[in-house]
Order: sequence, then C-alpha cells, then structure tokens
Amino acid sequence: MPTKKTTTAKKKTSRAKAAPKRRAVLIGGMRTPFVRSFGQLLKMDTIALGVEAMKGLLERYPVPYKEIDSVVWGGVVLPSTTVNIGREIALDMALPPTVECTTMTRACTTSLYTAAQAAAAIERGDADVVISGGSDSLSNAELTMPRSLMHKVAPVAMSRKSGPADYAKLITQLKPKDLVPQRPAVKERTTGELMGESAEKMAVRHQIAREAQDALALQSHHRAAAAVAAGRFADEITAVDAPGGKRVHADDLIRGDASLEKMAKLRPAFAKDGTLTAANSSALTDGAGALLWMEAGKAKALGFTPKAAFAAWSFDAVDPGDQMLIGPAISMPRSVHRAGMSLADIDLVDIHEAFAAQVLCVLKMLANERFAVEWAGLDAALGTIAPEDINVHGGSIPLGHPFAATGARMVSTMANELVLADKATALLGICGAGGVSAGVVLERV
Amino acid sequence: MSDYLVNLGANPRARKAVKLTGLPIPMPQKLRRAEGPWEERPLLGAAALVGLAEGSALADPVAHTLAAAGADAHVAGSADQLAAFAEHGAAQGHPVTELAGEEGPRKPRALVYDATGVTHPRELKQVYSFFHDRLRSLDRCGRVVVLARPAAEAADPFAASARQALEGFARSVAKEIGRKGATAQILFVGEGAEGRLEPVLRWLLTERSAYVTGRPLTVSAGVAAAADVPPTRPLDGKVVLVTGAAQGIGAETARVMAREGARLVIVDHPSQEAPAAKIADELGAALLLADVTDGGTPGAIADLLDERFGGALDAIVHNAGVTRDKMLVNMAEDRWDMVLGVNLLALMAMDEVLVPKMRDGGRMVFLSSIAGIAGNAGQSNYAASKAGVIGYVRALAPTVAARGIAVNAVAPGFIETPMTARMPFANREAARRICALSQGGLPVDVAETVTFLSSPGAAGLSGQVLRICGGMMLGA
Repeated sequence: MPTKKTTTAKKKTSRAKAAPKRRAVLIGGMRTPFVRSFGQLLKMDTIALGVEAMKGLLERYPVPYKEIDSVVWGGVVLPSTTVNIGREIALDMALPPTVECTTMTRACTTSLYTAAQAAAAIERGDADVVISGGSDSLSNAELTMPRSLMHKVAPVAMSRKSGPADYAKLITQLKPKDLVPQRPAVKERTTGELMGESAEKMAVRHQIAREAQDALALQSHHRAAAAVAAGRFADEITAVDAPGGKRVHADDLIRGDASLEKMAKLRPAFAKDGTLTAANSSALTDGAGALLWMEAGKAKALGFTPKAAFAAWSFDAVDPGDQMLIGPAISMPRSVHRAGMSLADIDLVDIHEAFAAQVLCVLKMLANERFAVEWAGLDAALGTIAPEDINVHGGSIPLGHPFAATGARMVSTMANELVLADKATALLGICGAGGVSAGVVLERV
Repeated sequence: MSDYLVNLGANPRARKAVKLTGLPIPMPQKLRRAEGPWEERPLLGAAALVGLAEGSALADPVAHTLAAAGADAHVAGSADQLAAFAEHGAAQGHPVTELAGEEGPRKPRALVYDATGVTHPRELKQVYSFFHDRLRSLDRCGRVVVLARPAAEAADPFAASARQALEGFARSVAKEIGRKGATAQILFVGEGAEGRLEPVLRWLLTERSAYVTGRPLTVSAGVAAAADVPPTRPLDGKVVLVTGAAQGIGAETARVMAREGARLVIVDHPSQEAPAAKIADELGAALLLADVTDGGTPGAIADLLDERFGGALDAIVHNAGVTRDKMLVNMAEDRWDMVLGVNLLALMAMDEVLVPKMRDGGRMVFLSSIAGIAGNAGQSNYAASKAGVIGYVRALAPTVAARGIAVNAVAPGFIETPMTARMPFANREAARRICALSQGGLPVDVAETVTFLSSPGAAGLSGQVLRICGGMMLGA
C-alpha cells in the first residue's frame, strides 16, 4: 500500500512534495489496562473492553460526538455472531447511529492496520474524524463444538417434519467426540504449529541464545516498571470498573523485580531443549486500545493539538511455514524507505515483543545486507540497532499483548514519547500469525 | 497400472521378510513425489551435505540455491567457500555447519559435490572420500548431484579425463543408490554459465525429478535468459501449446502445466474428441481437434492463437506421437509413413509456422524416447522418428538461442500408462526392473520434467536430451 502521490504537489521542492494535500494527524490514544487473561477482566468481553478504551479516549480528548465520522476497529479473536464489534462498540458508546463502523482483522498487526486505514480514509477525503483501535478478550474466546454435531443436529432441528422419534434417533447417533468442544489454541491453520514453536525454530535458525532473550525480557520488564513508577503511562491508560465493583487501573504482567537468575530457572515452554520460556514470551492478555485521528485542518478548527502522524507504512507477509515472525525485518525498512528516510533519521524504535527471540531475529536481519536485497527488495540494509536501543518503556513481554490492541498501544506510547522527549520520528514494527507483518514510521507534527 | 513390488516394498514388514529370505526379489522403493504446485522452499527442513573440491567455483550459486530452497547446509570446503555458505545461510535463516571429518547429520536429503576445481585425475580421490564416507547416510529418495566443468572445455587432456571420469562416477552412483529410490546426476557447468545453475540444481534436488537419474546435463549460457526467475508458478500467464494432450502423458503434462499457471492450447486428433474435450474443459484450455499431419493444421493453430491469445505463444510441447510396431521385414509402407509423418514431419511443419510467432524467452520441448536412443526390435520406424527428433532438437537449438528460446527433448523410459499396461506380463516386468530404480515411472514424472524445461529457469539447458528413465540400462 504505497503512499499515494499527488500530481499537483510536484511543483514544491521539499520531501513534502510526495505528501497528500490532506494530512491525517494523531490527536492521541488511550487504552485499558492490559491484564492477564482469565484474570481481573474475565467478565468483560472484547466489546466491553473496546467501549472502555473508547470512553477513555473521548474523555481525554473530548471531541463532540457529532464530529466523529467513522470507527475503524479491529479484533483477532472475534465473537462469531457479532463480528463487526466496531459497530457494537459505537452503539454501546451511544455515538450517533450515523457513525460508520468497520471491523478488520490482521493478527497482531491489526490495530496498526486499522490506524493506517483511518489515516488513509482521512487523507483520501472520506472522513475528517476517525477513531481507530482494536480489542481482544482471550478470556472470552468461544469454545466451538465439533462440526459433526452441527451436521447431525441441524437437519433434524431445522426440519418441520421432525418428530420425537427423529430426535430420539438423533440422540442415538451422537458419539462422545461430537460433544467435546474444540479447545482454542494460538495455532497456525496451515502448519499446525503453535506460535511459540515457530519462534523457537527461528531462534535455532538465527542462533539466538537463551541469555540474550532473557536479557531483552529483563530490560523490557525493568523499563516498563520504571515507566509505571514514573507515571509515564498515566496519560495513556484509562481505569476500568470491572463487574463486581473492582476498579482495574494498571497493567498486571509487569515484573519490576524480575532477575536473570529467576528467569534462568524457568523450563523451556515450547521445545524440550528450547530457549523460549514463559519469561521471554508474551502472555495471553485482555485489553483494548483506541486512537483519535483527524484531518489537520479539522483538528485546528476543533482546537486539538496533534501529536504525530504516519509518515509511511508497509504491510507485508512471509511464508508462515518458513520464518513466520520475521516480517518486521521487511516492513520496518520498507516503511523507512517509503518515508524517504534512513536509520539516521529515526529517533525511537518500538518493536512488538511477541517473543524476545523473534525481536532479536528481526534485529539481526535488519542489519543483514543480503536479507535486505532478497527479502525486502531494498538496495541496502536498514542498519544495526542494538537491543538496548529499542522499546524505551518496555514492550509486549511486560505490558502484555491483547492481539488487536498492541498496535494502538505502541502508536499511543510512541506519539507521547515524541512529544515528551522532544523527538522527531519513531519506527514501529509488529509480526503476526499467518506470517503477516507491519512497519510504520511515526513522525511528530 | 500399479506396481505390485512397489506396493509390497512400501510395507516395512514385507520388505524385511523378503530381505530375510534372501530371495533375489527387487524391492523398489516407493518414490517420494511432490504434490501440488512448485513451493517457495521445497527443501525446508532438509539437510544437505556439500563438498567442494579445492579451487571449485560454484560455492556461491550452490550456497544460494540451498539456502533459498530452505535446506540446512553442512559444508566441507575452504574458508572462502564456507564464507559464501555462511553469508547466504544467514540471510535465509539457515546457519551453516562445517563438516570437518565427521559424517554429518543422519539421513541428509541431498549430497552435492562441487568438483569444478578438479583438474587432474589424481584429484578425484577427494570425490571418492567425500561420498565414500557419507553416501550410506543418504535419506531414501535422496539426491546426489556432482558439479563439474564440461570435458570439452578442458584446457588439457588431464582435466578432460578428470571431468569425464566424474560422469562415469555419477552414473555408477546412480545405479548403486537406485534401490533406495535415490537419484544421482552430474551437471556440467560451462564457464560463464554459473548464473544459470540455480534453477536447474534446485529442480534436480526437489521431489519433482523423482524418476530422472544417472543423467549428465550441461548448463550453458547460450540462451539469453530473463533476469528474474520465479521460484513458484513458473508458467504464470504463459501461453503453451501441447499436442496429443487428450490422454496419457500429454494429458498429465497439460494438467501440471495448467497447475503452474499456463494458459493452454490443446491439439489432438478428431478421433479423441471426447477425452480431449474433457481435459480442455477441466483445464479451461483452448481446444483444436485436428490431424497434425494435415497440411492445414499449423495454420489452424496459429489462427486459434490469434483468436484466443492475441497471437502470443510461449512454449510448445510436441507430445503427439504414434507407434506402429512391426519387424522391419514385415513392416508395410503405411506403418513407416504414418509414424514418421506424425512423430517427425508434422512437428517440423508446425514449427515452421509457429516458431516465428513465439515470444522471446520461449521454450520448446519434444517427446523423444529411449527407443530413439537405444533402438528397439520391431520399432525401426518409431526409433527412427524419435532419434530424428533428437537430431532436430540439437540443430534447432542454436538457431533460436539469440531469441532466448531453449529447445530440449525428453526421452521417457518405461512409464506406467494404459498403453504399457497392455504389454505382456513378462515384457512389462522386464522393462520395469531393468533400471536403477527398479520400477516404472509415472506420467506425472514426465509432466513435471516437461514443465521444468518449459519454465524460465530452464534457460541454462538447450539442445539437450533429458532421459526420464529411472536409470535404465539401455542406451547412453
């Protein structure tokens, strides 16, 4: 999805000549606390979580509801009877019923994708004010019954001619295996591999040591804990009142007291002699994140000060049977290239930590010249980025990873960081199931 | 069409029992064949052992071939050669292991030896050592490929001798490993043709070359090649003519080519209307029912191409053929005329009209036969026509090379078809077992080979005859 070029802008000389006339700018982002699945937010489904994030967003950035044109929402584990959860969230929020709503799904890159779609819609002139985001409640993933049950029951249940005898006969035909619900798992449909198994394979193939993985996880936990202690996330997280009266106000996966010694004691999680453990992998998490986008002129008219904008993005895919999570090593340099920048122009790097091993594989390939040419189709590698130089406030290992909310979290944190630390650009990367990936260059406006 | 010994051999208990009895019953290995379209990484997860003689030149293309195909390379070579493997391995996420003395991993899928540095027969010892220590570990249905420079390009008789020696070596290895379903080839890579090696080597290492073994092939740079060789769906958008595609090998070839993206034009005799229409319908192909010996047929094909594909033509597969077997002294004149007419004169007449229409980078594949190489009693007409094809292919190739058109022949050995199923049992049994793999090939083996020779990656091969014979003892 290359940045659209306008012909009329050709006369101007600067880099801005490739920029569209309309500019989508990010006003800000808000998210719910990210909490371990089957924990504090057990009773809230993905729609309820989405409502909380959007409510927090519109309280923090009070745009009049009538100005909102559309909602571009996302989810990965979607309720099968209400797939367009974006619409349900908007209705539960009592946004005007005329607000147009879409729900998209693109694995863990989902809310970077919905953000890009929001920006694109604004820059195309389809909308002036758009809320993007995503939510996931792994705690409320559906148990599905075997299809064989449906295939046996439906013809009887749906026929008007069915009598008691038919039902009696049906019962005799059911076998125990027809009645055992299928267990949900983070499994690839094409390869049958758990995502951790794919990451484990990549760790072996790129020779990423357990120590390096633990070190990155530790750094991430310590940084996240420090950020929480400093109140750095206060402007990004909205407290949630869970059913039962409990107020959930903070992420609950961060371990400020983590140490390499403790981590070293953990057993491998995905392979007998593996290097991936619960400590250097992200956990199943519930949460939601929302972003508010406006056309630059509209923002000004409504009195909002934008924080950032997408300079460029790249959405890509690789063979899930090979190196499923290597995609950011393609999407990140491509987005930098599309922004007309080089690594020297990038101030902050934020990479989704599905697994510490996967992040380290990506960093390794970002510096590999041949990889850049053969996989990303670029002339040169992006360059060397040290693990210490990424994820200044931690990543998905300590913060948690509600699949469809992680991109929104990253955009929100990095946009605030550009403002707070007075930086110009941030480079974001996310890998996802199915081998999809995303890269975004965020720039301050 | 099923081979009872292959079926028996697929049962491990039966295999063991036959071995215990010590009876001289061949136990052919059921060949591993790829299903579905070409894969991006056909060797994903497979180990490949690579040896490189001192001074060998192909470390870079071999390293890239293996890494890009998804194989894990275990390499014995010089520091420079290892560095090439390390570089390509790193970029594809396949760390390279150095093979220093030890055998390497168990059951490697491939053994590849770059002998382009061998300049004297006394240096052949390193080839012996590499394979002597490791051939036993080769996985069933594994692959051996020896790479060498063409003997004809040798600077002195010693080098020529060494290079020729490698061919004898590879052909023998093919015969030794055939019982485990494995194959061996030797690729002669001309100076300056290194860039053409990868797709050829890659294909030979896949399961798609299952029934090709003991073959010497020369990779040359004579045919202008496209810069970009797609690893998958090689015939995407290509307009391909297949004659005699109503049934048997022709039908299977059409199917495989359609699977790889080809837009097909099928020609068959009007007597084959029902099966031809069925396959054309199945593949969405344009169909022409015509006798290829009819003088109007080439023009009718050209008209059909104009009408359906704007005159485009990217590949021709001359598959249509007939047999009219009879001992020469008993052979009536019409049998001679018929076979020569269909198998040789007709394709020349078609080429006269169609070759000028072909787009640059085209491919021509001719169906020859082992009979055309070795001769066969009762087939003087058929063998003459199929040998004539070989002579034609060799002479035609250089005339169209500048247009990027590669011209090759395939020579199937014993292929399990309805035709061979009608052979007397004893003859059929003999024909099946007199090859290294101890079994007949399947139509799909020919189809996969023809498809590869029609692909952009086959630019390094032209004017050659590729036998698909399981290492048959007959002929050269």
